[in-house]
This record gives sequence, structure tokens and C-alpha cells, in this order.
Amino acid sequence: MKKKSFLNPPPVFIEIGPDSLKAVRENDEVELSLTRAADGRLTASCKEKIIAELKVFLKAKSWQPRARAVCALGARGVSMRRLSLPAGRKEEFHQRLLLQIEAEFPLAPDELAWGCQPLSANGSVGKQELLVAAVKKEVVADYLEIFRAVGAEPVFTLAALARKNLFAATDSFVMLHIGNGQSELTFFERGIPVNSRIVFSGGENNSNPPDAAVGALAQTIKGSLAATTVFISGSPISENFVTRLANFLGNGWRCERLSSADNVVNSAAIAGLQKISAPGTEPALILRVRQITGTPTSFVSADLKKWAVLAGALILAWGLLPFAEALLLKPHLAKKVAAFKADAVRLTMIDRELDFLRTLKQSQPPYLELLTIFSKAVPPGTHFEALSLNSHGEVSLRCAFRDGQQVADFRSKLIESGFFANVTVEEQTPTPDRQRVSVRLTAQEKPLAQLQALAAGLPPDDLPKDGEPSAPIARKETK
Amino acid sequence: MRPLIDREKRTVRLAGIGIAIYLALFGGLQVWKFFDKKRADYRQLVLEAKNLRERIQPYQDKVLVVKKMMDDFHVDPARLKKETVVSDASAAIQKAAKSGGLQLGPIRESQSHGAGKSLATVQLEGAGQVSAVLTFLARLNSIGFPVVLDAVQFTADNSRPGQIKINLTLIILDFDSTKEVPHA
Repeated sequence: MKKKSFLNPPPVFIEIGPDSLKAVRENDEVELSLTRAADGRLTASCKEKIIAELKVFLKAKSWQPRARAVCALGARGVSMRRLSLPAGRKEEFHQRLLLQIEAEFPLAPDELAWGCQPLSANGSVGKQELLVAAVKKEVVADYLEIFRAVGAEPVFTLAALARKNLFAATDSFVMLHIGNGQSELTFFERGIPVNSRIVFSGGENNSNPPDAAVGALAQTIKGSLAATTVFISGSPISENFVTRLANFLGNGWRCERLSSADNVVNSAAIAGLQKISAPGTEPALILRVRQITGTPTSFVSADLKKWAVLAGALILAWGLLPFAEALLLKPHLAKKVAAFKADAVRLTMIDRELDFLRTLKQSQPPYLELLTIFSKAVPPGTHFEALSLNSHGEVSLRCAFRDGQQVADFRSKLIESGFFANVTVEEQTPTPDRQRVSVRLTAQEKPLAQLQALAAGLPPDDLPKDGEPSAPIARKETK
Repeated sequence: MRPLIDREKRTVRLAGIGIAIYLALFGGLQVWKFFDKKRADYRQLVLEAKNLRERIQPYQDKVLVVKKMMDDFHVDPARLKKETVVSDASAAIQKAAKSGGLQLGPIRESQSHGAGKSLATVQLEGAGQVSAVLTFLARLNSIGFPVVLDAVQFTADNSRPGQIKINLTLIILDFDSTKEVPHA
């Protein structure tokens, strides 16, 4: 039950009188005054004001279904008839009822908001007894528009029928509802309302009307039918009024005041509506603007089923999705995998090419870089005779320097270049003319990987380019 | 045919419900097995595709490296033919030497034996200006063939001032000897 209450907003009970609208929702209550035009309909400004105030009162949440608004309408403008429908097929019931309404009421059914209540207990054989209540459609349509605008789903019934829920009388009785300036008198015969009328008192204060007014009221009550009990409701009623009315009615009559102490707005109709507020319970007679619609929404009965079906479908889809995926995507995936496998031979080729090109790169000794080092290290005037380099990193050089100091400088520069692991001057001999020193020099290059790293660090300007050899080596070699 | 009495109707109804339940269960089991097998096959295929993707992913980088090295060396290993690569490379070497102004001397080719990575060795002698020699050496890396300079000897040419003699030993690599590399 708690879950249902959480999902469904609590119902709101409303009594709509000639000059006020009273609403009760759980512990909250509000009373709003109504302004009517000459034809009895609400004015546009009044509608706007009521909508604004009811919105604040109801605080409708967008995620919740519309709140159920059970509205009790006063007797003003309401006509009641007891109809007896001839026997016939069930499918034709509605059509026959429309014909009866058209015959009994001054307006066509299309122009009425009407409802019916079966009176099976009183039905004769082969006939169906019905109580039909109707009011001008536009009157109810105004209320419908207001409640729809504030996020509620209204259900309309008669206030007199709602008040009847406060007691268990089944015999004939009269219900008197005292209002400001006018009172509502409804006559019940064996528990069924048969007549309803408005009695104008002519004053604003009905709590203690003059004897003449009470006497006239008593005469109206006594002249109606053979009832002996009067139930009195409304605001404000003094105990003195009840006693005086009983005195005017005379012996055999009983006047009883209906208690509606549960709500501050003092509405016996709302108290009666609350008595039948159990979920799924509807008022016995509902006035509908459109007969095909108007079924009150219930999250439990309608929305919950819809949500349950949707949730079930979702769970089913969730369970079936992996299978559907397997069926739908497998051919496509299989095709792609086959294509990948067919192309796998290309991967082998890429590996081979990479391995080969790496071998080629790693086998290239940086001869040009070594020549650059030599050209930068050699002093001017040096005479080269032979220079040999090989892939094992062995360097051999024969040349002639001017003196021993130049040899030592040359050797130091070679070592400082970092390209050589060792530099050995194997032989250093003065030439026969004593002008030069002949040198035979060997060196061992560092490992190829280190050489390539060092070569990469050389300034680009120092390296000989295609067709553009390094200037120093060109100059010194030719000497 | 006489009409069925209520008891017979009930029996027929119950039997019908029983058969329907049996068929639903039996057929449902078959359908379930069919779809379950399809799903298991699909999952296996997905696993296979995932493994393939993981295997292929590093090749994106490898391809870039190969492309760069091919551009650097002007070599496309896949297009090299073992039968003609030595003669083509020799011709390209001589062409590069002549275009740089190098005067070529004797050229000796020798086939490599055994299972080494070299296909042949080319020895050549030449003479020319220093600039021509260096240009030739610089071009050797980009003649379009896998040539490695194994040894080089420069000698002063005393008879012709400004010129040097050069003696080169070149190795032509064999692409076919590259073994298939195990996949990463």
C-alpha cells in the first residue's frame, strides 16, 4: 500500500458550491471564493485565479500520474429523474438511455453532463430502474478545464449523494444544506434522491434566520413527501436553528445535524466523499461530460499494468539481445575475421622487410662521418698517402706531418672525437730531407651502434652532401 | 457423431493442455540449444577477432618504420629479384660512379657461398677528384639496391695532382635470406 501511495498522488476531495470551492487533500485544506457571470458560469479571471491557487495547493509532480479529484457539485442547475428502461439487448443499453434522457430532460444529451445510477432493487420485472442526474455541460466543462490545468483528473458527483454517505438511513428523509444566501433541499425516497431544489433565504446570515423564514422552510419540507427526518448540514448552523426547525415541523419530525468536524472547511460533502475514498471505489453516480471517457485514472489499475508490460518487454529484450546479436552480427564478423586471416601473410612480409632494412641500416659504417672527423683533425699542410677503412672498424693511415707536435695534436683530436676506441701511432719517422715526419697510424673504431649515434649528433654542415664534399677534407687530401 | 459430455470435454481439454506444455518444453529446449550454440560460436569468433586485432595493432607502427627506411634507402625489398639483383646493382653502381665523374678501373664480382646474408661481393677500383669520390660514396646508400660498403681505401695519386685513387669492397645483401621473424 505504501508503494502505491508513493506512486499515486493522494486524492483531493472538493466541494463546489455557488460561491466557493473547498478542497481537502490529506491534512491540507483550502477554500477559494468563486465569481460567476449572470449565466452561472465562472468568469475568466476567476478561472485563472482558481487555477493558480490550486496549482500551489496541489503541487503536482511531473513524474506522478494526475491526482484523482473527487468533486461534489451543489444542486443548483442539477436535474434528477428516475428512468425505467425497457428490457432489451445489453449492447443497446446506452442508445436506449440516450433516448430516455432526450425525452425526459429539457436539453439534448449532447448538451448535458449527465450520469446514471442503477436502482436494481426497485426495478420491476423486465425493466431497469435508473436514477439519472444531469446538468448543463458547459458548467461541468469549466470545472473540468480547471482541474485538468492543475494536473488533476476530476470525477464529478452530487454533493447531496456525498453527504448521504455520512449516515446509514435507507428510508425517506430530507437533506438540508444551509449556504450563504441560499440553501439546498434534497428529498430522498427509500434512500434514492428524487428531488432537489434551492431555497433562497434572502440574507447572508443563515445561522439564526427569522421565524418566518424557518416556518416557510418547514412548510416546504412538510409538503414534499412523507419523510420524518431532516438531516441538516452547512455553515454556520446554530443548535437553536435545529431546535426551531424541529418545532416548526411539529410532532413526529426529527432534525439531526450532520457532523463534519474532521475538516476545518466544515464540509459535510467532503466528509462524505472521504468515506468512500478507498482506492478503486467510485461514487455511485458520476456526471460525465463525455460518456466514452471520464474513467478515473489509477496508477495501480492502469499505469502499473502498462509499466509492468513495458518492464517485462525490457527484461525480455535484455535477455534476448545477446542471442540476437549473435544471429545478426556473426556473418559480418566472420567475414571480417576471414579477411584479416587472408591478409596475415602480409604481416609476415612486413616483418621480413623490417628485419632486412634494419640489417641494411646497421651494416652501414659511417665512413663519411669518419672522413669529416679526419678533415677537422688534420692540420694544414699535411700530406696523405693512404687511408683505409673497413666494416670491422679498423682504420689505417699513412701520411706526413710537418713535425712531431702536429702528430700529437692530430692524435689527440681523433681521440677527443669519441669515434675511436684507441689510436696508435705505429711508426713515426723523419723524412730523408728532415722537413717532414712520416707517420703510420692505426685506430679502432668504437662499435657500430655507438658510431651511428655519434654520427647522428654531428652538425649537418660538417657532413659531406651529395656532390658537395666537405671543404676541409678536399683541401687537405690533395696536398 | 454424438456430442461430448462435460467430463469428456474436460479430459480432452486437459490432454490438449498437457500436449501443449510438452511441446512447448521440448521445442523450447531445442530452440534454446540452437540459440545457445549460435551464441557460443559468436563469442568464440569475437575472441578470435580480439586476438587478431591485438596482433595487428603493432604493425601500424612497423609499417611506418618500414616506409621511412624504404624512402631513406630507395629500396623496396619485395621487388628485389635474386636472379638479377647482382647485375642490376653492379650496373647501378657503375652508373652512379660515372655520373659523379669517377673513372672506374677493374671491377670484380664474386658470389657469396653458404647461408650468409650477402648475395655477392663487388670490388672496384677508380680514380677521380675528391669531390667525385665523396659524391659517389654518398650516393651508394640510395642507388636502389641493398649495398653495404665493406671496406674503402683512399690512395694519393702522385701522377695526377688533385686526384685520388679509390679501392672499394661492396657487399650486396640477399633479401631472401631474411628469415621469417616470429610475430611479436
